[in-house]
Amino acid sequence: MLETGVRQVRVAMAMVFGRRLNVRAVERLVADALLTLEEFGSLGDDVDELADGPFADPDERRDLQNRALQRTVRRLAKHSPFYRERLAGIDLDGLTAETLTRIPVTRKVDLIERPADFLCSTPYLATQTTGTTGRPVQIWLSRYEMELWPALIALSLVLRGDLGPGDRMQINLSSRATAAVQEDVEVCRLANASCHVVGQIPPEESVEHLLTEVGGTRPTILTGNPSYLGQMVTAARRRGYGPDDFGLRAIYAGGEMLSRSLADALRETFGAKAVGDAFGMTELLPVGGRTCSKRHLHIDPNMGYTEVLDLTSGEPAGPGRLGELTVTPYFPYRECMPVLRYNTGDVVRTLDGEPDCELAAVPAVSHILGKSGTLHRTVEGLVTPRDILEALDGTPGLPWPLRHRAEVGDDGRLHVEVASKEVTEAEAAERLRDRGIDARVTVLPVDDEVAARLFPLRCDLLEHTFTRSHA
Amino acid sequence: MTVFFQLAVTIALALGVCVGAIAYFRAVRTPRPPVGVFNGSDIFMMMGFVLALPYIYLTLPGAVLPVVLALVFAGGLSVGYQPLIGNGRLRWALIALLIASVLACHLAFGETAPPYWIANSAVVLLIVVSATNLNVQGGMRLKNVAWFLLALTAYDAFFAWVVPLTQELSDAVQGYPYAPAAGLRIGEDLGAVVGMGDLLAYALFTTTAYKAYGTRGLRTGIALVTLFGAVAPVATLHIVAAVTDHAPTLIPAQVFFGPAAFLGYRFLRRGGPERRMADVVFRGTRGAPGPARPQAPAGRGAAAEPVG
Repeated sequence: MLETGVRQVRVAMAMVFGRRLNVRAVERLVADALLTLEEFGSLGDDVDELADGPFADPDERRDLQNRALQRTVRRLAKHSPFYRERLAGIDLDGLTAETLTRIPVTRKVDLIERPADFLCSTPYLATQTTGTTGRPVQIWLSRYEMELWPALIALSLVLRGDLGPGDRMQINLSSRATAAVQEDVEVCRLANASCHVVGQIPPEESVEHLLTEVGGTRPTILTGNPSYLGQMVTAARRRGYGPDDFGLRAIYAGGEMLSRSLADALRETFGAKAVGDAFGMTELLPVGGRTCSKRHLHIDPNMGYTEVLDLTSGEPAGPGRLGELTVTPYFPYRECMPVLRYNTGDVVRTLDGEPDCELAAVPAVSHILGKSGTLHRTVEGLVTPRDILEALDGTPGLPWPLRHRAEVGDDGRLHVEVASKEVTEAEAAERLRDRGIDARVTVLPVDDEVAARLFPLRCDLLEHTFTRSHA
Repeated sequence: MTVFFQLAVTIALALGVCVGAIAYFRAVRTPRPPVGVFNGSDIFMMMGFVLALPYIYLTLPGAVLPVVLALVFAGGLSVGYQPLIGNGRLRWALIALLIASVLACHLAFGETAPPYWIANSAVVLLIVVSATNLNVQGGMRLKNVAWFLLALTAYDAFFAWVVPLTQELSDAVQGYPYAPAAGLRIGEDLGAVVGMGDLLAYALFTTTAYKAYGTRGLRTGIALVTLFGAVAPVATLHIVAAVTDHAPTLIPAQVFFGPAAFLGYRFLRRGGPERRMADVVFRGTRGAPGPARPQAPAGRGAAAEPVG
């Protein structure tokens, strides 16, 4: 017990003073948490403070933010050629969250054009984005990062009771998501849970894997992209499976927008009580966000600084305004290819007041509403991709995942194309109208393959198996 | 007369502290840190404290030692009884009253008078009861206690017979209040005193045995404490006095109790694995409950997949 206390102090001191964390100490804390669960059946008092970090107090958080930002920019100016140029002439020691706006944001195109100029330490693993929303970008990660992040994530999940011994995670991510898959496997190892890396194989096979018992356990946790999870819902329903057939307690989705109706369908079909809609990007790891029951996105303030920049002015967005999510991961959590004020392109709405949800202690914005380049400015007002997705997802006759495209016509009216052989244009238009969206709808009665070509999603990064492959 | 007096007082104290610790264990749950279970490393640290504390005490000037002890007592009582008396002001007022009563009795009646020893013993017993529970409810296992007591046996023998540290400490607190011991003295002739460390050993063993093996563990613990914690040391004291014609001033009780407790653990272990705190049914008071935890899932994996 004293040893655990010493370890906690060591890790906390490193966090407060911005020193590199001792990965073994964090891993041992995960083991300590598991032993605590084994002995007591639950964790002790004040576990929330340990899970959410010691900076729930706004004043303390501001002080931490300023020191962490100064530390991060000093290191970037020293080691990163890109930021050495960008930060020239800026008083780095006097930098605060308020004056941070003087530094131009970093965009994905910067990473694509000058990747080597972002490197600050010895790279170990390269992971490449899929390019589903544009040109792919290669991100390099250090050995330290690849060891630290799973330890921090495992600690957080074990402390929150979201993962532990007895759990089995089925990972339905594309095998090209090297960092994410490796991280999940390592998280399971540290949390004493088992895992099965299934990949994005034909969804019917993934559903069968969910039913398979190994050592008396079926998968209890499922992780994947919403579009692929949607395909699994369709496959499971087609085969007549219901919640009693599965052993899932949680499904974690991410990488795409998860609609309310798909989340409900996942619960109803697979029987999982918790369906998590998480935010995370390889460029920003380990900064991540969770979505609460009120559908706010709560981004961890301990590992990075989050801004919402107004869509027109580029300045911090006022309450209730739309803006682009811009994140700065702090050193020492991000060290190999760190970014400063990274504009994610994801649009959110700032909250008009303090959140009143179960995660109120963690700062929040609205859930992701879409990419800034895909907002639709119609004559009737702004329509976000989220608005369209929430309206159409779950429409009878529209199987998951929803395949669609929207654009504003010359007449200023929204035009939505939907792939479906069953739904009528009138039905789809009615669904949109119910949510206050006036749109002209075209239904394309095409096969799945054609629909996938017309409207690609992450689930289309399909991996063939000898079991099903026609190759 | 002396032998019966000493037997009665020693048994009453040894069993009293065990019963008190078990009653506390059944009735109260102490607050615990979010993460952490008592383990073998803690035993090493505890032994370190046990080794270092007497030297620290002995380096203090005579008059400072009781002040330090009084502060340690007060701190121990405050931590240990916070789950029972949540109101801080009331708790500290009662602690101040207890600590003051020891001093008052010492000043009014003297060091060898029963009122001082009764007051001092009450404070010591209360501290031992709460300290025992902080450890046991922190996940301490009978296995940990058995090995700790075995180490304490060697310590006790060494510092009683080879390096007379225990005697020096006993002499150092003579004439001052807040002796780290419980007992009863009636004048210069009748006296029976049990060290605080010995009482802690008895309470720890009995309570962990109860936690680990229920009633069977409790019976074993009580029997071992009575025979080897109380009867054997007192009997030895008088046998040595009769044989050598010289009564020793102290008997290292752990020399008897430590090995017996270790064998007791080995005996109990045959009954199966120790119960965990999670297996112990509790229907009493829970100290300082924390707020309800948010249950929203923290997604991983898919969220970290590279975005396009």
